[in-house]
Amino acid sequence: MMLERNMTASPSRTAKVAEDHLVLSEVGMTFGTADVIPSLSLAVRRGEMVAFLGPSGCGKTTTLRMIAGLIAPSRGRISVGWRDITRLPVHERDMGLVFQSYALFPHMTVSQNVAFGLEMRGIAKREIRVRVETALEMVQLGHLSDRKPRALSGGQQQRVALARALVVEPSILLLDEPLSNLDAKLRDEMRVQIRSLQQQSGITAVFVTHDQVEALSMCDRIVVMRGGHIEQFGTPGEIYEHPATPFVASFVGRTNRLSGVVEPSGRLAAAGQGLLAEGALPVGQVQIMMRPHRVALLAAHEHVPPGHNALRGRLTGITFVGDLIQANVRVGEDEITVEQPTRRSTALPLMGAEVTVSWEAGDTMVFAGGAT
Amino acid sequence: MEIHKTSWLMGLLVTVLFIYLLAPVILVFPISFSGDEVLRFPPTSWSLRWYEALFDNRDMLRAFWTSLTLAFVVTILSLVIGIPAAWVIVRMEFKGRDLLFNVFTAPLLLPTIVLGLAILIVFASFGLLATMRGLVLAHLVVSLPYALRILAVSLATQDRSCEEAALTLGAKPLSVFFRVTLPMLSSGIVAAAALCFLVSFDEVVITLFLTGPRISTLPVELYDYVYNTADPMVAAASVLLILLTLGVILVVERAMGLGRAFVK
Repeated sequence: MMLERNMTASPSRTAKVAEDHLVLSEVGMTFGTADVIPSLSLAVRRGEMVAFLGPSGCGKTTTLRMIAGLIAPSRGRISVGWRDITRLPVHERDMGLVFQSYALFPHMTVSQNVAFGLEMRGIAKREIRVRVETALEMVQLGHLSDRKPRALSGGQQQRVALARALVVEPSILLLDEPLSNLDAKLRDEMRVQIRSLQQQSGITAVFVTHDQVEALSMCDRIVVMRGGHIEQFGTPGEIYEHPATPFVASFVGRTNRLSGVVEPSGRLAAAGQGLLAEGALPVGQVQIMMRPHRVALLAAHEHVPPGHNALRGRLTGITFVGDLIQANVRVGEDEITVEQPTRRSTALPLMGAEVTVSWEAGDTMVFAGGAT
Repeated sequence: MEIHKTSWLMGLLVTVLFIYLLAPVILVFPISFSGDEVLRFPPTSWSLRWYEALFDNRDMLRAFWTSLTLAFVVTILSLVIGIPAAWVIVRMEFKGRDLLFNVFTAPLLLPTIVLGLAILIVFASFGLLATMRGLVLAHLVVSLPYALRILAVSLATQDRSCEEAALTLGAKPLSVFFRVTLPMLSSGIVAAAALCFLVSFDEVVITLFLTGPRISTLPVELYDYVYNTADPMVAAASVLLILLTLGVILVVERAMGLGRAFVK
């Protein structure tokens, strides 16, 4: 439960709950005959960073572009601080947008890029110079202010884009997959940097991503989207530990999937073997899910502590990965993946052996309906 | 390096092709320094007399200035009309967009002799024959399609997110156009300008219908000259034309690199 402890330590949870800042009410988008977004409602609180997480085509970028004003919603209402901005043109919205492609102006130097928004606001030349300098220092690029964007690396360009968006002190910062064009190491650095800049400035931010790690590690709350609607809106801890739908469970983190049944008596069973779960259970066909690393691999007749589930099965595959053992266990029609840290004394069971897989009752996730 | 491995046969073919294409152009250079009375190769004596003759020929000089002014005006007008037109066609969503583009670029497909005849008939009734205005209008018919095509392609390949970024930063649509769209279009604009200039400067067929004793362009004047006399002065004029064309291309090359300007 490390994760949950981390989440409760995040500042927005300890601070008193802030007021709603960005509100979408029943916003919908229709392209031709396709309802890209049927109806979407959500509220982002002042100063928090919210991730729109989902696979491509889930409508997350469309929603972001509607907030920025780059496309007009077909219906519904968008407001910022209770002011209706649904019909406000883009250039009057006062939002900072950071693009996946950086979208720096190629014909301007770094400092001209950053100064652009300030010039458009008619700010005095003197003040512009000071603010541009400060913004570039903030992203550690003061020494490159006279370069053209073309002469910068991807990470540097992304930082210029960030400085350009933040220097105008917009009411809301919108980030559209800002890290997906960067290599893995740079992505980790930028993740930390974007988050700390957002927290320092206390700006309300929306972060569009398809990467669950970015969403879980950077954001105060996550909107998981699929097919134009919201699957779940909650803190990273809630999303990971208490996914609302099978889709959320399998999209955020990895998961095992078993088909099972809840009998009218309330008894949960899979492959004919009884199981324990917490909370109310839906009667009928169900999907049972649990995270691979929460499952332990035991010898067939090993003792299972009380409050733990145990399923008998046959070992169909086992891989030693150094710090982990990955094992596949066939239980009835389904296969369970187990990931278990290695110990020096671990004796690997043989392929085809009868084994028991075990996990805490609280780690069992049960969803109504058969497997899709 | 793969490219050096092409067979000698290929190399020979390319060489022959280049000679075939360039030989007539290269021949003009020695002929222009001929001291003979008639056009022939190789010349029997050498001199600069035909260059002198060219610069003494007031009709030629007048035609040269006409051509230069004409090409300049046509280039400017092509851009002034072509840039907004390309923007509308590429950026606005409306019915008949493709039709509009095709109508604009159709003159490229028509035989120029047909165009020339049509323009002659129309212009005659408007009193535009043998006037600068008439020539400008006629040349625009040929140069605009080139300008529009190049500008539309570079506009369509331009990264739109830069314009969107400018909008979100508070720029009004007109500022976005002048501060972002136009500067980002600069390589397309230079390429279009160069092409329009050359198209207008070189245009003969349509111009033939519209010129007369009152006004004539350099290519038409040269054509008339060769029709009546066969001395090497036209070679001298050709050399100067080649150098002018090379100059225009060098400007484009300096501005952005030839490949990027025309191939993009």
